[in-house]
Amino acid sequence: MKRIIKITGSFLAIMMIFSQCSDDLLETTSYAQVTSQGFWRNGDDVVSAVNAIYEPLLQENYFGHYERTWDIQSDDMWRAGDHGEDQSIEFFTYDASNPKLIDTWKWRYEMISRANAVLINAPNVNMDVAIKDRSLGEAYFLRGFSYWRHYLIHGEVPIFVEEDIRAGKLNKPKAPKAEVEAQIESDFLKALDLLPASYQSDPDNLGRASKGTVYGFLTKFYVTTGQLQKGIDAGKHITENALYALAPSFNDNFLIATENNSEILFSMQYLRNWTMDNTPEIYTTPRPWGGWDFREPIQDLVDEFEPGDPRLGYTVFKVGDMVDLGGDAGLTEYTADLSTSGYHFRKFSSWTDGGLNSDQNAPILRSSDVYLLVAEAKVRLSQNGDVELNAVRNRNGLAAISGATMEEIIHERRVELAGENERQQDLLRWDKAGIIDIVNLYNKSRGPLKPARTFNRPKHYYFPIPQREIDLSNGVLEQNTYYK
Amino acid sequence: MEILKDASASAIYGTRAANGVVIVTTKRGKLGQGVRLNVNAYGGVSNRIKSIDVLDAKNLAMLKAERYTNDGLAVDPIWLNPQYQTQKTDWQKEVLGQGSTKNLDLSISGGGEKSTFSISGGKYDEQGLIRNSFFKRYSMRINSDHQINKKIKIGQSLQITSQSGTTPNTTSSQDGLIWSAIRFHPGLPVKNSDGTYSTNQISSQFGDINNPIFTIDTQDRQSTRTRILGSVNGDWEILPGLHAKANVAVDANFADSHEFNIQVLDQIRTSTQNSRSVSSSKAHSLLQEYFLSYNKKFGNHDIGVVAGYSQQTFDYTDMGATKRNLDSEDPAQRYLNANGGTITNAFEGRSYDAFQSYFGRGTYSLNNKYMATVTFRSDASSRFGPNNRWGYFPAFSLGWRVSEEPFFQTLTKAISSLKITGGYGELGNSNIPSLQYLSLMGGGARYSFTGNPVNGVSQTLIGNSNIAWERAVMTNIGLEAGLLQNQILITMAYFNKQTRDMLLSPPSLGSLGNAAVPFQNVGQLENKGFELELSYRKTMGDFSYSLGGNATYIANKVTELYNGTFLGSQFYGRSSSEISRTYVGQSVASFYGWKTNGLYQTQADIDGDANITDDPRNLNGQIKPGDVKFLDLNGDHIIDDKDRTIIGNPTPKITYGFNATATYKNFDLAMFFLGAAKVDIYNADRMQGLDPTYPFNMYAEVLNRWNGAGTSNSIPRMTTARDNLNHRTSDLFVESGAFFRLKNLTLGYSLSQNVIKSLHISRARFYLTGQNIFVITKYKGMDPELGIVDGNRQINVDYAQYPQSRTWTVGAQLSF
Repeated sequence: MKRIIKITGSFLAIMMIFSQCSDDLLETTSYAQVTSQGFWRNGDDVVSAVNAIYEPLLQENYFGHYERTWDIQSDDMWRAGDHGEDQSIEFFTYDASNPKLIDTWKWRYEMISRANAVLINAPNVNMDVAIKDRSLGEAYFLRGFSYWRHYLIHGEVPIFVEEDIRAGKLNKPKAPKAEVEAQIESDFLKALDLLPASYQSDPDNLGRASKGTVYGFLTKFYVTTGQLQKGIDAGKHITENALYALAPSFNDNFLIATENNSEILFSMQYLRNWTMDNTPEIYTTPRPWGGWDFREPIQDLVDEFEPGDPRLGYTVFKVGDMVDLGGDAGLTEYTADLSTSGYHFRKFSSWTDGGLNSDQNAPILRSSDVYLLVAEAKVRLSQNGDVELNAVRNRNGLAAISGATMEEIIHERRVELAGENERQQDLLRWDKAGIIDIVNLYNKSRGPLKPARTFNRPKHYYFPIPQREIDLSNGVLEQNTYYK
Repeated sequence: MEILKDASASAIYGTRAANGVVIVTTKRGKLGQGVRLNVNAYGGVSNRIKSIDVLDAKNLAMLKAERYTNDGLAVDPIWLNPQYQTQKTDWQKEVLGQGSTKNLDLSISGGGEKSTFSISGGKYDEQGLIRNSFFKRYSMRINSDHQINKKIKIGQSLQITSQSGTTPNTTSSQDGLIWSAIRFHPGLPVKNSDGTYSTNQISSQFGDINNPIFTIDTQDRQSTRTRILGSVNGDWEILPGLHAKANVAVDANFADSHEFNIQVLDQIRTSTQNSRSVSSSKAHSLLQEYFLSYNKKFGNHDIGVVAGYSQQTFDYTDMGATKRNLDSEDPAQRYLNANGGTITNAFEGRSYDAFQSYFGRGTYSLNNKYMATVTFRSDASSRFGPNNRWGYFPAFSLGWRVSEEPFFQTLTKAISSLKITGGYGELGNSNIPSLQYLSLMGGGARYSFTGNPVNGVSQTLIGNSNIAWERAVMTNIGLEAGLLQNQILITMAYFNKQTRDMLLSPPSLGSLGNAAVPFQNVGQLENKGFELELSYRKTMGDFSYSLGGNATYIANKVTELYNGTFLGSQFYGRSSSEISRTYVGQSVASFYGWKTNGLYQTQADIDGDANITDDPRNLNGQIKPGDVKFLDLNGDHIIDDKDRTIIGNPTPKITYGFNATATYKNFDLAMFFLGAAKVDIYNADRMQGLDPTYPFNMYAEVLNRWNGAGTSNSIPRMTTARDNLNHRTSDLFVESGAFFRLKNLTLGYSLSQNVIKSLHISRARFYLTGQNIFVITKYKGMDPELGIVDGNRQINVDYAQYPQSRTWTVGAQLSF
């Protein structure tokens, strides 16, 4: 027996020699991946984290395409394309499980969560003060922007800010509308203090949010929430500042060479071979020209343009247009068989010798939009909005208007911003303010592609919260009133 | 091959045994056998078993046009164009052709006084059903065993396998080849008269699918993998009954994959630039196991003790790159070093994991009549955080050989042996990705400012610092009996397996954003049931035969979820249909949707239907005859998401197998049948295939659609509207997945001894084998054997997966 013990002992000793010490053996390392504790070392880390907040803007399932789908409800376009669920969005019969709702909801919160990470961590990082301020400003703006989009689509949503993340509160009930509005305004105002006026002298960063970006969105926020004088005050920072001047030509906003001109307050910045698929471009382009043929403009929109308005030619392709498709195709005629409605939007497409040119940016907010918002606020306050309205008209060589009315502003916004995801939100704002009757407007047939539709006021002002979120929230998240 | 399912028996194999153990013993030589050469060669063909019956071009145009007529809309002109109403192509036939298989195995084995060896090599060559697809494998194995002296034995195994193949995409329900073939327009030719491939760029009515033959002909995706598996083991008998054993093994895997995507401008899914992607990975695993065992017989007492230690490390590195816009697409220029282009992506990664275990087992037997085994193991896995790494797992079993008892001896004529066993065992599972306990930041969020590329870093994984071992707690009671001199063998077992702290990565709130949700210990799963195995063997002169069967009955349900009321799963297809949910008290991944009661036949049916009295779609006149009548389960007279319920169970309650062998003189026959019963399939492919709102071809069944009162009660009307969502997840698409299949049949003929002696060979057998020869099922899809997707959270959902094929091979086995 002694011998057995001796042998066993020496065997175990040999085993211990062969096997490593247990602590070492089980110790893992996150090779090539940083833990969140190991990140936030310096200014470079902060800037990288800020860059990441912008990235969802390019996502197909967010601003690239899905978030643009809401505009098919308007009277400007027919849904086209081949996404079955779009029919129910266009006809106001969508339910809370519509896939467009699920993904846009998630991506807005992803932007918010990336912004919160910066707002929590960047203040403690030892770095260049100017860049730190800019970074925090961008994070505040992009968070405010995400809540702004949430507000337009859903009205009331749960709010997550730094304290919630620190406390691990990740399942919260909806905040009432006033709180969502307060959050947006507060984020925008903080951003305003921190951001530079523009990047025209810092071209490597041109495309980041600037004071101009924030003033633009603040204007939109105030006009939408009926705070018209505040809207005018914010908008003046755009209309009276040469840094945000209108581009010499309307079309400059849609050409790659001039796509970062002073008028572009905020845009989706695509870069070939680097960023993801240029979905605003692919979705709106005719199929044989390399696209997927969604959101075709309808005759009703085309008829809205005044005779001689050059913007029509820059806004839509129509039969007989000659278009340079690059490479072997070269100059090609736009023919009737390319579309169902007879038209395509052309603001988002350009070509190289190898098909669509994915360097094309897509604007999210232009100064001309802000000019028209200021004009609208003034007219609604019975002031004179001619200066701002005519600035937009003059650029296009159209006759000046004196004593502009809401009707003229409504017309101008429709032709100036066609296809840029503004029309439906404009109509909702005007209906809420009692300026138009959206129910009547949609109850009118605009040809076989756009028959009369039933808009239930106020239900269809907002979309439901995705059913998936309600179900997963374990009773915490309540559905919007009219979808219960 | 030996299968261990018993809790206590598997315990010694530790963490990887939570779902049972399959021990594959490879061929080894025998002492003193001389040298023997074996050859096994076979070849054959395989074919698709079934196609989905889809519409021809004429009927497709007719039904698509009918949608507009029904909706009071102008028909899209493409459906009136006679050019697209002539049947041109059966795409499933084009995509799934005939495949072939060739295989050759050679082995030499032998043994002398002290040593034995076996050397074998094989070559397997398969052409897939999909044109241009192939799979090749070369393998070599060398095993030897040596008796060094009376006390010491060593053995060695070395296996090298090298395989390569194409990797066509057959799984996606967005652009998978099988899915595409079912849906591509049948009125388009494979190629136009000018030699170009037909395309869906013609009209958005034709859907966003690329011509599947274009995809097959132009895709260039291959992967290769080389695996080296080597081990050395030694056994030293220190004293009689006391053995020290060691086993050291290395498992190395080298994998490469490369693909070239040509520029595509004239299909609907374009690639404006060509691209080349390559990646390679290296994985090394080193296993060390040491055992000390002692067996001793004291009179009637048999005692055995084993103590052991094992550790295994896993090192993994990978790297790769993508280059876009190369100057040439010539096959000789499809390399990163070729002219032109930009490297747009390059990566290198590394990971490390380890397991460590200590274990002990004691066995005791009295008179070979009463048996007991006790096992204890402690396992550690680096996949868990520092505080949760170690898990402790006990097991024991008891056995009683009743037929050894004196009182039983009168029965032994009828019952030759009878044994009752019972056991309890716990086993851990740590089969999750690495580093789930850490919050990780990752680059790759790319953006640009005025043409300057910038990189963005964001949180890619939400850390779960509490993640810990999943624990399978198993109890089983069994009975083994042999009847009539063991001609009939019966095994019966009752088992109850509780999977505690089940590891899953459940979908979570969208308000968390898009970072990966970590694996979590989500709840408890119960699997209990019975197993029965029977076999019978009989010889009558030249004729002998055997019959065997087994059947398992399983009741599977989730008994607890720690957070939330259910586990979700991935959504299906364009419409993001939710199909599977896991609730407490229900089977895992149950189908979740609406219940239906036929179709509305008349407007009066709609007006009188209490299910939709307050439904706004009804009030707006958006529900029409020919729409599906969904049931309002919550009584609010509105059909919405709150009316969903469990509509099917994807886990088979009963699975069974049956095998039969017979030999008569020189002939031998073997058959293996397989079946499942009491199981549901969610036929998602059919749900989409009947849906006229998609821009795709449809199932031919749609010809039997509702088109007037009394015409159909199950296939809804043609419409472009999705107001009633006729093709939402509902019991209309839940089908029985029961099947009975002849999986394998082999008929062999061996040359008689006189013939082979004159040929100087010791054995010559020729055989014919068929696989998947027939299947009896009511299931409408391609194949009722579907399996699991999305972890364990979605089961038996038909996405038009790559189906099994029917294979016939002929072969020869020769021994020299």
